[in-house]
Amino acid sequence: MKILTLGWRLLLTLCIVMAMCLPAWGRTIKIGVIGPMNFVQGKSHWNGAVMAAEEINAKGGVQVGNEKMKIELVKADSNEFLNVTDATNAMERLMTQDKVDFVVGGFRTEAVLPMQDIAMDYKKIFIGCGAATKSLCDRVAENYNRYKYWFRGTPFNDNYLVRTSFSHLGAGAAVIKNELKVPVKCAIVAEKAAWTEGMVKVAEATIPKMGFELVGVWRPSAVATDVTAELSAIQKSGANLIFTLFSSSVGITFARQAGELKIPALQAGINVEAQKEGFWEATKGMGNYVYTSSTYIRGVEYSELTKPFVEGYFKRFGEVPTYTADTHTAIAEALVPSIEAVGSLDADKIVAYLENREYLVPSGKVKYEKDAQGRPTHDLTWGPGYLTGLAGQWQDGKFVGVWPYKWVAAPGAPEVTYKGMVPLKIPPWMKK
Amino acid sequence: MVAAGLYLKRFYTVVRKEVLVLPSRIIVALFFIVLLGMPLISRNPYLIRVIVLTSIFAILAASWDLLSGFTGQMNFGHALFFGVGAYTSALLNIHLHLPPWGSVPLGAAAAVLTGLIVGIPCLRLKHTYLALTTMAFPIILMGIVFALPDVTGGELGISGLQRISNSLIGNYYIYIVIMLVLCTIMWKITDSHTGIIFHAIREDELAVKASGINTTRYKLLAFCLSGFFAGISGGLYAHYMRIAGPSTLEVSMSFSVVIWAVFGGMATIYGPVAAVFILFPLLEFVRFWPEYRTMIFAVVVLLILLYMPEGLIPWVRDKIEKGCPRCKIRNVATRKTCRVCTAGLD
Repeated sequence: MKILTLGWRLLLTLCIVMAMCLPAWGRTIKIGVIGPMNFVQGKSHWNGAVMAAEEINAKGGVQVGNEKMKIELVKADSNEFLNVTDATNAMERLMTQDKVDFVVGGFRTEAVLPMQDIAMDYKKIFIGCGAATKSLCDRVAENYNRYKYWFRGTPFNDNYLVRTSFSHLGAGAAVIKNELKVPVKCAIVAEKAAWTEGMVKVAEATIPKMGFELVGVWRPSAVATDVTAELSAIQKSGANLIFTLFSSSVGITFARQAGELKIPALQAGINVEAQKEGFWEATKGMGNYVYTSSTYIRGVEYSELTKPFVEGYFKRFGEVPTYTADTHTAIAEALVPSIEAVGSLDADKIVAYLENREYLVPSGKVKYEKDAQGRPTHDLTWGPGYLTGLAGQWQDGKFVGVWPYKWVAAPGAPEVTYKGMVPLKIPPWMKK
Repeated sequence: MVAAGLYLKRFYTVVRKEVLVLPSRIIVALFFIVLLGMPLISRNPYLIRVIVLTSIFAILAASWDLLSGFTGQMNFGHALFFGVGAYTSALLNIHLHLPPWGSVPLGAAAAVLTGLIVGIPCLRLKHTYLALTTMAFPIILMGIVFALPDVTGGELGISGLQRISNSLIGNYYIYIVIMLVLCTIMWKITDSHTGIIFHAIREDELAVKASGINTTRYKLLAFCLSGFFAGISGGLYAHYMRIAGPSTLEVSMSFSVVIWAVFGGMATIYGPVAAVFILFPLLEFVRFWPEYRTMIFAVVVLLILLYMPEGLIPWVRDKIEKGCPRCKIRNVATRKTCRVCTAGLD
């Protein structure tokens, strides 16, 4: 009986404490972070958002009119790599159970499209931080009243991604031409995956137009553990530039074996594994001179916001942020200043304000595009002065920024070199 | 008034003498009542979404059971029918602007055709060979989807499909009623003359052939029927999600169907339906523990299969009911004598 009394007393005390604490917490701004949380992309979504929320809350929160509100994050595992249905359920849950005010995240386009529809049904601002497909923003132009709550946060759209990759390729080819005085012979090596299908077709059409000889296309498995057959064939073809499209472990295999065999060609393009800190160890140093697109590289600064973000992220999570960590940007740079400016959480007011903003972010400057007819698309503007992305190269154990380095996007355009960039190098064994 | 009273009296008699006599029938009746009455209790959009998607997958799981459970044609590529139904409905809706009531049945018709195309080469195969061959078909179709991105949307799929209904509750009732009707039809098929032949083919095809029955025709019929119902579920799914994408053809989709059917109990129809209604919401329920969601799901499935190898529902049914040794009629487990022939049940 005594124990029971004690239990009841404890319960009563707990209730009083909670009741006292509630007003202190006040109202919060609930932001849903949706992504494949068991995968690196989702983890980065979450890390970026956590960092943004911690920074903002540490400063006292967000000034919404006369009220100061803290940010409360709601984590939603979309499981979208394995199950698209799961992703839509997670979004519906964010909308109706968690009743979030805003959503950031999403990765796989096939999942983001229906997730976008659900967010639009509830008129909630959804800033996409992963899917590159242009059609997500085309919907805004085609049906503005319904889809205006969608904004692209990162990356820039697939058309621009392809253009950037060819700019990287062009920069590599220029170094080969200047240093070796030979014509450029290019091989395409793309892992067997859906995302590379379209890019291979575009590359096959574009590379000859760039004035390079296309010597062939090789398609190893995304998880191949041996690519010596492909490398031998590439060497025999006389290629001195290899356009790589790798997102899986084959990126390590290919770089390691190419280094071991001293294949006389520069690897340029996309190699997701090479963007990671562990790449040097994984290739036992054989991945030297691998050159890949990237979003953030330590020591490279797009703007004054880059260093605090990259170093802060590295300090907090022990790794360089990937592009899906731009949930930080979506919250800290896109949403919060817009909420403070309009003094309200009203989605329509925020949309009207945000779509006309131009603002600095750690990866450059954001300006939302309009289509040829002048309709807002809420897509990101690409190019000098705005967002360009980066390319890095492994040079003697360090991943350094090499593109844009004295890059001229079009005749007459200003030359672009970000702070901390170094010149691109070709492997020394190409010079023999 | 008098006629209505007579009907009510007759209805009451049927309920009392046919439904209330067996716990399994009471459970099914409650299932119908709860599903149809759900919007009266809660109109939570999330809950409704989960139930609607569960219903779509219940049709899919039951359609697999019709082919693989009853006829024994082990199909490890059931996502093919689902995907064909989804893509056909999507193409018809987007390009020909056919409303869902036209695109979904035509999607199902395309899935029937696919059933024929797949069924014919598979007729000579059995067991593992059949399973592996059927598994290849959705993978082939996925290759075609990626090869023709202008038509199929490639990796992105076909999006922006018309909803069946713009009303939350309207949508709910359409999906629920379709599921209940289709699953009842499938159950009735298995209980019919055709269903008995399906069952017999699974048990001993040679004996069925020796009885003068054209088993080839019946196996093809099973492929087509299963394709039809799976195609409808694919079409419904595409219109609900407003997208038909490559995920509808993924191997994981085919395996999910097998897991649902085996978990619930094969060759029952109601078993896979019940399994989907347990497992799909379970996955949603364990969202509070995201890191271990899949593991919890796997542990539940493994435990059930370990201790209830025939599936959950037949196990439960055997616990609450027993069959009469003389007339085979099922009785509630507490009875000492059969409710029809009064034979002893112990």
